[in-house]
Amino acid sequence: MTTVTLHNLRKEFDDVVAVNGIDLEIVDGEFLVIVGPSGCGKSTTLRLLAGLEDATDGEIVMDGRDVTAVEPKDRNVAMVFQNYALYPHMTGRRNITFGMKSSGDFTDEEIDRRVEEAAETLDIADLLDRKPQAMSGGERQRVALGRAIVRDPDAFLMDEPLSNLDAKLRIQMRAELAQLHTSLGTTTVYVTHDQTEAMTLGERVVVMNDGRIMQVDEPQTLYDFPANRFVAEFIGDPAMNMLPVDIENGTAVHDAFTIQLPNADGGVRNGAKESGDASIRDGQRAVLGVRPEDLYMATDRPNTGDETLNATVNVTEPLGDSLLLHCSIGETPCKIQAKARSEIRPDDTVSIAYDPARLHLFDPESGDALYHSESYASSESAAAAADHG
Amino acid sequence: MSTREIFDSRIESGLLLLPTLLVTVVFLYYPTALAFRTSFFDSSFGRAEVFVGLENYVELLTSSGYHQSIIISVVFAAVVVVGVVVVSLYLTFLIHEVDTGQGLYLISVIWPYALPPAVGALVFLFITHPTLGVLTGPIESLGVEVDWFNNGSQAFVVVALAAIWKQIGYNVIFMIAAMNNVPDTLTETAELDGVGGLRRLVSVYIPIMTPTIFFLVIINTIYAFFGTFAFVDLLTSGGPSNATNILIFNLYQEGFSFFNFGIASAKSVVLFVIVGVLMFVQFQITDKYSYYGG
Repeated sequence: MTTVTLHNLRKEFDDVVAVNGIDLEIVDGEFLVIVGPSGCGKSTTLRLLAGLEDATDGEIVMDGRDVTAVEPKDRNVAMVFQNYALYPHMTGRRNITFGMKSSGDFTDEEIDRRVEEAAETLDIADLLDRKPQAMSGGERQRVALGRAIVRDPDAFLMDEPLSNLDAKLRIQMRAELAQLHTSLGTTTVYVTHDQTEAMTLGERVVVMNDGRIMQVDEPQTLYDFPANRFVAEFIGDPAMNMLPVDIENGTAVHDAFTIQLPNADGGVRNGAKESGDASIRDGQRAVLGVRPEDLYMATDRPNTGDETLNATVNVTEPLGDSLLLHCSIGETPCKIQAKARSEIRPDDTVSIAYDPARLHLFDPESGDALYHSESYASSESAAAAADHG
Repeated sequence: MSTREIFDSRIESGLLLLPTLLVTVVFLYYPTALAFRTSFFDSSFGRAEVFVGLENYVELLTSSGYHQSIIISVVFAAVVVVGVVVVSLYLTFLIHEVDTGQGLYLISVIWPYALPPAVGALVFLFITHPTLGVLTGPIESLGVEVDWFNNGSQAFVVVALAAIWKQIGYNVIFMIAAMNNVPDTLTETAELDGVGGLRRLVSVYIPIMTPTIFFLVIINTIYAFFGTFAFVDLLTSGGPSNATNILIFNLYQEGFSFFNFGIASAKSVVLFVIVGVLMFVQFQITDKYSYYGG
C-alpha cells in the first residue's frame, strides 16, 4: 500500500528531453494508466519510478520517503515488461522464485507458500515446471505476473504488458489484470500506447505528450471533458473531428454552417477551470471539436432539432457495428459514425445532426480547451436522470 | 540438384572451387595421409625408409617420457581452457557492466590476441624473466622466489599464464557479443529483484551464453594442444626436466631436432586421436547443457 508522488521529475538523454518536469500524485491502491504516443516519455517515467533510470532533476517520493537516488532493489517495486523478461533457461517456478531466493529475504517455506498462492491466483500451477519456450505468450505473461506478485511489492509497474499478445488474448488478459488489481489492491502504474486499454483499465488515466502531462483524470472525464486538443484527439477512436470556426454571438461560424453553442458563457471545467479567462469571446477564432459518434444522419434522429449541416461523403468504411463515413464539411475533412447498413454512397450529400451537449472548443494556437457545451454539473444531473429514467 | 542455378555449368563452378580444394588437399589431406603412412616406417634423413609396422606406436606406448608428456599436455590443456574461459568471462562481465570507457577496456583486453604468438611469448618473457622481468620484483616481494628457469612447476605456471593471457582477447570478443545479446529486461528484472552482480553472471548470463562458451571451449582446447607451441619453444623449450614438454613440442623435437620422422609421425597421429576423442566427449557433454534458446 503505497502513495507515490513525483515532483517536477525530469529526465534528459543527452540533448533529448524524455520527461519534462512532471508532477503527479499516485494514490494508495490506485490503478493508474499512463498513455501517450511513442516517444512521449511514458515508459521513461515508469523506468524512473522503478529506478532503472536516474532522474536528471526532480524527486520521487514513496510513502513520504524520497527514493529518487535509491537502488531499484530497495524500492520494493515489481515490474512487468512487454517482452515478459522471463529467464529462458529456467522453469516457470524457478523464474518466479529466482529473485526471492537471490535476495535472501525469504525462507524456503515462505517462498513455497507464496508460489502456491500466486499459482492459484493466476491459475498457472501447470506452468511451473515448464520452460518459457514451451509456453504461449499469454502463459508467459501470467508467469511474469506471478513473479511480480509473489514478492508482495509496494507497487506494480507494468510496461505495455499486453502489447505482445494477440487481440483476443489481450482483451481476456485485460479483464484478468483488472480482476487481479481488485483482489490485491496494490498500487499499480500501467503504461500503454493503446487508449482503449487505458480507458478500460485505468481508475485514472494520465495522458502524456512530449514529456509532459496533458491531463490526469478518470477515463470518462477525459473523454467528455478533454483539457486540450491533444487529449481530445488522442482519446477516442476514431479521433474527434476538428473544424475551424469563428465565435460570433454565442455561435460557432464555419464556412459551411453555423452552430448555436449552448451555455456559451459556461467556459471549461478542466485545465483553467476556475479562472474566467478560458471562456470564449466574440470574434475569437477557435477549433470546434465534435466526436464522430456524436454526429449522425438527421433522418435517423428526427427529434434532435432543426440544426443540421451538410456533408459530402468521400469514403465509406463498414465497421460491422457502424458505418464510418469520411466526409467533407465545406473544405474540412470530418468523420461520422453512421448506423450500420445505412444506404450511403461516396459523393452523396448527407444532412448531419449533432448532439448539442457534446461540443468542444479549443484555442487554435495553444490547443487548450475553451469550452465544453455540457458543464460537468449538468452531465452529472443528466446521468442521474438517465438512472431514474 | 541445387535450388538456385548460379553458375552456367558444372565446369565453371568446379573451376571456382578448385583453388580451395587444391590448397586443402595439398596442405591438409595429403600431409595427413603421408604422416599416417610415415608413422609405420623408420624414417630419417640420409637413409632409406624401412617399414616397421606398429613398432613406433609400441615404443610410444611403452615410453614413460611420452606418458608424462601426455599427462602434462592434458593437465596443461585443462588449466588453459578453464583459465581462459573463467578469466575471459569475468573480464567480459566487468566490461559489460562498466558505463564509460567500454571501448578502451575492450581494446586493452583484446590487444594480446593481436600479437603474433612468438612476439607474445617474448613480451611475456620480459614481463616474467627471473632477473629482468617487470613483474618479478613485485612477485618476489610477496615472498615467492621467481626461478622458473630451474623450477618445473613454476615454468608450467608461467607457460600456462602466457597461453591464457594470449587467448583472452579472442574469447572476450565472442563473449561480449553473446553477453550483449542477453535482453536488457532480464538484467533489469534481476536488478529489481536484488540479484547481485556475480549471481547475475553465473545464473543468468552464463546459461544463456552456453552455445558461445561451448564453441570457445572447443576452440580453446585446440589452441591449448596446438597453438601454444610458440610459448613452450621460446619460454622453456619444454624444460626444465620436461616439465613443460607438451605433446606438440615433444613431436616437433622428435621430428626436427632428432629427425625421427617415423616416431614424430606416430606422435602426431596420437595427438590427433587424443584431441579428436576430447572433442567428441566435449560435444557429448556440453551439448546436453547448452541452452539454444527461442
